[in-house]
Amino acid sequence: MSTTKKYWKGIEELQETPEFLKHKQNEFVEELPVDEFLGNEQLADSSTNRRDFLKFLGFSVTAASLAACETPVRKTIPYLNKPEEITPGVANYYASTFYDGQDFAGVLVKTREGRPIKVDGNEMCPISGGGSNARIQASVLSLYDSARISGPKKGTTDISWSDADKDITAKLEAAVAAGKSIRIMSSTIISPSLMAAIEDFKAKYPGADVVTYDSISYSSIRSANQASFGKAVIPTYNFENADYIVGIGCDFLSNWISPVEHARQYASTRRVNKDKKSMSRHAQIESALSVTGSNADVRVAVKPSQLGAVAVHLYNKLTGSSLPAKSLDGKDSKITAIAKELSAHKGKAVVVCGVNDPEVQKIVNAINENLGAYGSTINLDVTDNMHRGNDDAVKNLIEEMKSGSVGALFIHGINPVYSLPQGEDFKSALSKVGLSVSFADRIEETAAACTYTLPDSHYLESWGDANPRTGVYTLTQPTIQPLFNTRQSIESFLTWAGISKNAFDYISEYWNNNFYPSSTGSAFFSDFWNKSLHDGCVKLNTSTSFVSGEQTSLAESGIDLAATASAIQAESGKASGIELLIYQKTGMGDGSQANNPWLQELPDPITKVTWDNYILMNLDDMNEKGFNTILGQEQLADTVEVKAGSYSVTLPVVAQPGIPKGVIAIALGYGRTAAGKTANGIGANAAPFQKLVNGHLRNELSGVSVSESKGKYHIAATQTHHTMMGRSIVKETTLSEYKKDPKAGNEDILLATNLKNIGKDGKASAKELNLWDSFENPNHFWNMSIDLNSCIGCGACVISCTAENNVPVVGKDEVRRSREMHWMRIDRYYSSDMTEIRAEEEGLGAIDKFLKMEIPSSEDVEVVFQPVMCQHCNHAPCETVCPVLATTHSLEGLNQMTYNRCIGTRYCANNCPYKVRRFNWFRYNENVEFDFNMYEDLGKMVLNPDVTVRARGVMEKCSMCVQRIQAGKLKAKKDSERPKDGSIKTACQQACPTNAINFGDFNDENSAIRGDWNNERKYQLLEEVGVQPSVFYLTKVRNKEAAKA
Amino acid sequence: MSLVFTILSMVFLLPSQGFSQDAAKLFKGNCASCHKPTTQKLVGPGLQGVRSRWTDEAKLIAWVKNSQDFLKTGDSYAKKLFADYGNSVMPAFALSDAEIIAIVDWADKGGDAPAATEATDSAAGATTSAGEGGEPADSETYMYILLGIAALLLILISVLNTVKKSLQSLVNEKNGVIVEPQPHRSPYQQAMYWASQNKKIVALAGLFLTVWVLKLGWDGLMGVGVYEGYAPEQPIKFSHELHAGQNKIACVYCHSSVEKSKHANIPSANVCMNCHAYIQQGPKYGSEEISKIYAALDYNPETRSYGPNQKPIKWIRVHSLPDHVYFNHSQHVTVGKLECAQCHGPIDSMEVVRQYSPLTMGWCINCHRETAVQWEGNEYYEELHKKFLEDSDYKKGDVFTVEKIGGLECSKCHY
Repeated sequence: MSTTKKYWKGIEELQETPEFLKHKQNEFVEELPVDEFLGNEQLADSSTNRRDFLKFLGFSVTAASLAACETPVRKTIPYLNKPEEITPGVANYYASTFYDGQDFAGVLVKTREGRPIKVDGNEMCPISGGGSNARIQASVLSLYDSARISGPKKGTTDISWSDADKDITAKLEAAVAAGKSIRIMSSTIISPSLMAAIEDFKAKYPGADVVTYDSISYSSIRSANQASFGKAVIPTYNFENADYIVGIGCDFLSNWISPVEHARQYASTRRVNKDKKSMSRHAQIESALSVTGSNADVRVAVKPSQLGAVAVHLYNKLTGSSLPAKSLDGKDSKITAIAKELSAHKGKAVVVCGVNDPEVQKIVNAINENLGAYGSTINLDVTDNMHRGNDDAVKNLIEEMKSGSVGALFIHGINPVYSLPQGEDFKSALSKVGLSVSFADRIEETAAACTYTLPDSHYLESWGDANPRTGVYTLTQPTIQPLFNTRQSIESFLTWAGISKNAFDYISEYWNNNFYPSSTGSAFFSDFWNKSLHDGCVKLNTSTSFVSGEQTSLAESGIDLAATASAIQAESGKASGIELLIYQKTGMGDGSQANNPWLQELPDPITKVTWDNYILMNLDDMNEKGFNTILGQEQLADTVEVKAGSYSVTLPVVAQPGIPKGVIAIALGYGRTAAGKTANGIGANAAPFQKLVNGHLRNELSGVSVSESKGKYHIAATQTHHTMMGRSIVKETTLSEYKKDPKAGNEDILLATNLKNIGKDGKASAKELNLWDSFENPNHFWNMSIDLNSCIGCGACVISCTAENNVPVVGKDEVRRSREMHWMRIDRYYSSDMTEIRAEEEGLGAIDKFLKMEIPSSEDVEVVFQPVMCQHCNHAPCETVCPVLATTHSLEGLNQMTYNRCIGTRYCANNCPYKVRRFNWFRYNENVEFDFNMYEDLGKMVLNPDVTVRARGVMEKCSMCVQRIQAGKLKAKKDSERPKDGSIKTACQQACPTNAINFGDFNDENSAIRGDWNNERKYQLLEEVGVQPSVFYLTKVRNKEAAKA
Repeated sequence: MSLVFTILSMVFLLPSQGFSQDAAKLFKGNCASCHKPTTQKLVGPGLQGVRSRWTDEAKLIAWVKNSQDFLKTGDSYAKKLFADYGNSVMPAFALSDAEIIAIVDWADKGGDAPAATEATDSAAGATTSAGEGGEPADSETYMYILLGIAALLLILISVLNTVKKSLQSLVNEKNGVIVEPQPHRSPYQQAMYWASQNKKIVALAGLFLTVWVLKLGWDGLMGVGVYEGYAPEQPIKFSHELHAGQNKIACVYCHSSVEKSKHANIPSANVCMNCHAYIQQGPKYGSEEISKIYAALDYNPETRSYGPNQKPIKWIRVHSLPDHVYFNHSQHVTVGKLECAQCHGPIDSMEVVRQYSPLTMGWCINCHRETAVQWEGNEYYEELHKKFLEDSDYKKGDVFTVEKIGGLECSKCHY
C-alpha cells in the first residue's frame, strides 16, 4: 500500500471542514434514526437488553438441542371399533358420480383410512369411461377447502339446523298464505330422487316451482331441436362414428356438453397404427384458439360474428341452395373446401356448433340432416339430460322477484350473483324476496346476499343419484363423514316437506320403487342396489322423464331456413368494431371451483399462463397498439380496459396466435370476490359481458372498446416460448405421408463420427454410440409411451400427478420465477414458417433467424402438445453429476430420486436436457407464504400417505409413480404371478381421457408398451443427445391434405 | 462383614423361595377369572365335578393345556362344550399335569368357597399373581445390592490401606528409618507432581481418554434417532408375555393387517373384547387394566352393554420409522415369509414391549444382503431365479438374495 494516491469519501474530507473533523471518529456521521426504522415504540420500554437476549437465546438453543435428543413420544391411536372394510394402509375404492352442473363423470374415489385422496374416472361408466378432466381430478381438493362454512348460517351468524328449519317452514307457510310464489332456482337437476323430493316439497307448498339456470347455457340447442324435431333436447354425439368432424366455435374436447366422452370418442378416430392407416379429419372454424381448435387438421379463424354465416355458407355449399349470408372476408374458399369434403363423407360426418343462437343451431341441424348424421353420429333418441337451463325463465324470475311476488327463493348449485350477466340486478332483486336460502358450501357472492346459507354437503360426503342421459342411471355415495355440520339439500327439502327421511333411505326407496322393477337379473332389491352401487352406474330400459314432445322429422317441421339465414345475416350485420368472445378455460370452467389452488396453478393448455385471466389479442393488433407481446419473468404485460356498454374490466393483454385481427377474448371463472382466499381478487369477471339475445345467453359481443395501456402487470406463464426454434422436438407427419412410409417424419437422426466401421460415411444413429455400458434390466424394464396423435393437451394428467405425488402449489409469484413444482408439463408449440433452410436462402443471420422462428406463422396457426416428464434416461446425465448419489439408476430402468440423500447442489437439474427436475426452494407445507392446501391442516388431508412430502432444499421429479409400481409388484407377488400388462397404471395414464399415455414392462414381450416400441412412429425426445430415455413418443399425424374421394 | 453376608444370602435365597404348589393359589391365578370352584357357571362351567364330566382324565388335561389344539382331535364332548359356551376360546395354560390334577381335586371338594368368592367378586381385584414371593427381584434391586457390595469393598480396601500405612510407619519408627518429611503441597500441586513423575502413564491415560471421548461422541451421534431398547410404559399394562407367551395367541390374531397391509395394525379395542368380554380378571393386575379397555369402550360388564362415551386408547408407538421410509409388513411377512420375531425379537417374553432391533438403514440393508428370496412356488420369482442361475457371474453357493433383485436400491423404500 505504498501509494501516494489520496482517496476521499466526500468533498468534506478533501477540504477537511470543521464539521467533518468533529465527526471523523464516529462510524456514522449523522446520528442514525434507529428507533424510527425499527419502528417499535415499545422498544425503549422493554426491559430486555442485549445481554438478556443473548442469555435467552443461548438457553433456548441448548434446551432445544437437549430436547431434540430425547425419544419423541409418538402416540398411535387405533380404532375402537374398526370398520370391517377398512384396513389401515390399504386403499379402498368407491364408485361414485361427479356432477356439478357443468361436468359429469362416473368416478372411482380412492380413500385411505377414510379420507378420499384421489378421484379418477370409472371405467364402467358408459359416458365418461375411465377418463376425466382437470376439474374432475381437482374436485377432491375442493372437499378440503377451508373456505367452506362449518354449519348453517343466518346472515353471517351461526344457527342450528332445527332453528333454521323452524324459521323456514314458518316463512314458507306465510308465503303460501300470502299467495306469494316459491321458487327453487337450480342448476340442471339430473337426480331423479332430488326431483321427487322437490315434488314432495311442491305438494306441501303449492305455488312452488323450479327455475333451471346453468352458468353455461346450451338453451339454443334445445330450442333449435324443438323447432327442427319437435322435442327440446340435447342429443348425444357419437364422434367415434365420424370420419369428418366440423366444429364451429365449439370447444367440444374441453368445454362442450360432455367433453370427457367426446375426447375419448374423438381420440379413437385419430389413432393410427399398422393395421389401421386411416383417421378422421377435423376442421375447426373458430375465433379464439381453443383446445379443440388446436387439435384440428384444418383451422379457420373467423370473427365471432361470422360463425353464423359460416354455418349458412356450409349449408349452401352442401345443398346447392343460396340462403342469404354475408361473405367471410376471403375465407369463403376455405369453407367451400370443407363443404366439399364434408359431402364426400355423408353418413359419417358431424357438424357441431357452440354458438348459443337457435337460428344458427337450426342451420346446423339442417346441415347434419343433409349429412345423414342423425342415427349415425348424432343420436336424438338417447338424449342428454344435463344443461336444461332456460335463460328466458331466469329473466322472468328476476322480473318476478323485482315485483315482490316471490315469497321464497332457494338457490341450489349455482352462484347467480357472480355468474349471471345481470348479477348486480339479481342481487338487488334478492332483497325484495321475503326468504332467500342458498345451499352454497361457502358464503359466496350469492349466499352473502341471501338470508340463510344452509350448506349442502360436498359430493364426496353425499348420497345421490343421477340420470345424465336416457337409460343411464348412476349413484353417488359418501366416501367420508361430512367434515362440517352440513346437510344434503335433498334432506333439507324433505324436512321442509315434512318427511323425516335421510337421503340414503329416500334414494334407495326411490330406486326400489322406480328402477328396480325395470331391472333384470336381480332376485332382490338389495342385489340390484349393491350391484348398482358397486358399479356406480346401471343401464335401464326406461325413457327419460325430462323429454316432452314427440319426435318429428325435420321435413315435417316446416322451418323456413331462408328466414333463419336472414335473421343470422341481420344479426351479424350489426357487428362492428372490436369483437369480444367470452370463453371457458379448460381448468377453470365457469369458476365454481375457483378456490381450488390446483386449478389456479394449472397452466392453461394454450397460453400456458397460470393464476390469471387476461385479454387474448391478435399479435398484429397488439403491435399496432404498442403492447408488449412477449411473456417473460421481467417482461410485463400491458393492462388494458375493455368496455362494453356500462361494464368494463381491466386486465393484462396476452398475445394469442390464431385469433383473428379485431377480436379479443376473455375467460370466465375469474374475478371472484367471495370464493375464498385462493380465488378472491384474481382476474376479472367476464360474465357481465354476456348478453341475452332473444332469450339465449350469448358469448359473442361486438363494438367493444379497448383502451391504451393503463399499466404493467406480471403474468406467470410456465412456457414463454412459442415455437420449437427449428428443432425436431415434436415430430409430425401427414396421413398421406404416413400411408406411404410409416416412418415419415421420424427419420433417424444420424450423427457424424470419425469411426470408419460404422454406418455410411461414419454417420451413425445415436443409439449405436454409447459412452457408457448399458444397464441390465433382468426383472422389469418400465417404459412409457405417449401418442402425440391422441394427446389433446387438456391437462388432466397434470392435476392427477399433482394429487398422486403430493406436488405442492407454489403460487403465482414463484411460477413467474419458473419455480413451479409440477412433475409433468405439457409443452405447447405453434408452427413457425421459418426454417434453417429458408433462413439460409434468405441469408438471415443467426439472431434474426431465431427471432423469426419464435414468431408463429399466421392466423391459421398449427399447434402441437407434448407432455414432458422425467424421461428416465438409461444413460442419465443427472446421475453422473450427483456428488452424493442421490439420483441413481434402478434395475428396473427407473431413474430414482432419493430425497433424504439430496443436498441440493442442483447439478442434476443443470445437466438434464429435458429440464424436468424441480427444486424445493421452500418448505411449502410449513411456510405461511404458501398458504395453499398443503399448508393448511384441512388441505393436508388430501396428501397421499405413500409419497413423501419433500423438504426444502431437495430436488424432485417424476418417479413414474414408483409407489404404484411397488404396490402392483407386491400384489403380483402375493398372487404368485407376474404383473399383468396394464395392471399398473401411472397417475397421468389413468387420468388421460384419450388414452394417449401407455405404461408397462418392456421385458414383457406381449405388453402394449412393447407394441408401441416397435411402432414406426416411435421416437425419443432429443434422441441425438444419446441419453436413451425410457419414455418415448409416437409422432403426430395430421390428416391435412384434401381427402381423396 | 456380617452385613455383606446378609445381603449376599438375600440375593441367593430369593429365587429359592420358589414355586408354590398350592391348588387354591393356582386356581386363583389361572382359572378364577372364568371358573368357579363350585358347580356354578361363570364364563365357563363350574369346576366342581369336572372330572366326572369328562370320559378320560388325560383328555381333560389336554383340554386345559391347549383347548384349541384338543378341539382339532374332534372329541365330541369338547366340541359340545365349546359350542355350549358360545364358541368362546379358553386360552392355553402352561400348567403341569400334576398342577391340573391338584386344581381339579381341590375344586371337586368345592374349593374353599369363601376365599374363591372373595377373589372373583372383589371389585378391587386382589392380587392373584401366581405367588407373590415368586416374583424375581427386578434388576434395579440387584444393581443396588451390587453397588452396596462395591462400596463395602472400597471401604475395606481403604481401611486395609490405612492399616498397612500405619503399620509401615510403626515399623519404620521401630527400625529408626527417618522418612524425609515431604514438602507441603496442595492437592493440585500433589497431582501435578505425581504426573511429572509418571509421564508415560499420563500420556497413555491421555491417549486412552481422547479415544474414549471420541468414541463416546461417535456412538452418541450414530445413536441419534436410534431407539433400540425403547420400551415406554403404555397406558394399559398389556403383557405380550402373557398373551403371546403363555396363552400362545398367534400374533396375527390381533395384528390382523400384517399380512395384507403395510401396517401391522395395533388391534382395535373390539378385538380385545373378543376375549375380554368374558375374561374380566387378569392374573397380575386383576380387573384394573382390563377395566381400562371397558372404560375406553364405555362398556358395562354387568349389563354387557356399550355406552356412548367411547374414548380411543392412546398407545405409545414403539417402532417408528422416519416418514421418508416406506416399509410394508405384508411384503416381508406374506411374500418374504419372515417370522415376526426376526425383527421384533422375543415379544412372547416381553412384559413391556421394547424395540428389539435398531431399525436403522444399515440394519435393513444388511438383512437384504443376506436374506434369500422366497422364490420357490412363487411364479413372480421363479423365472428370475432361473435367470440368476444362468447368469455368467453365478458361482456355486451364491444365494439368491434380496440384493440380487434390486433390494438395495433407493426407490424400493424411499419415494
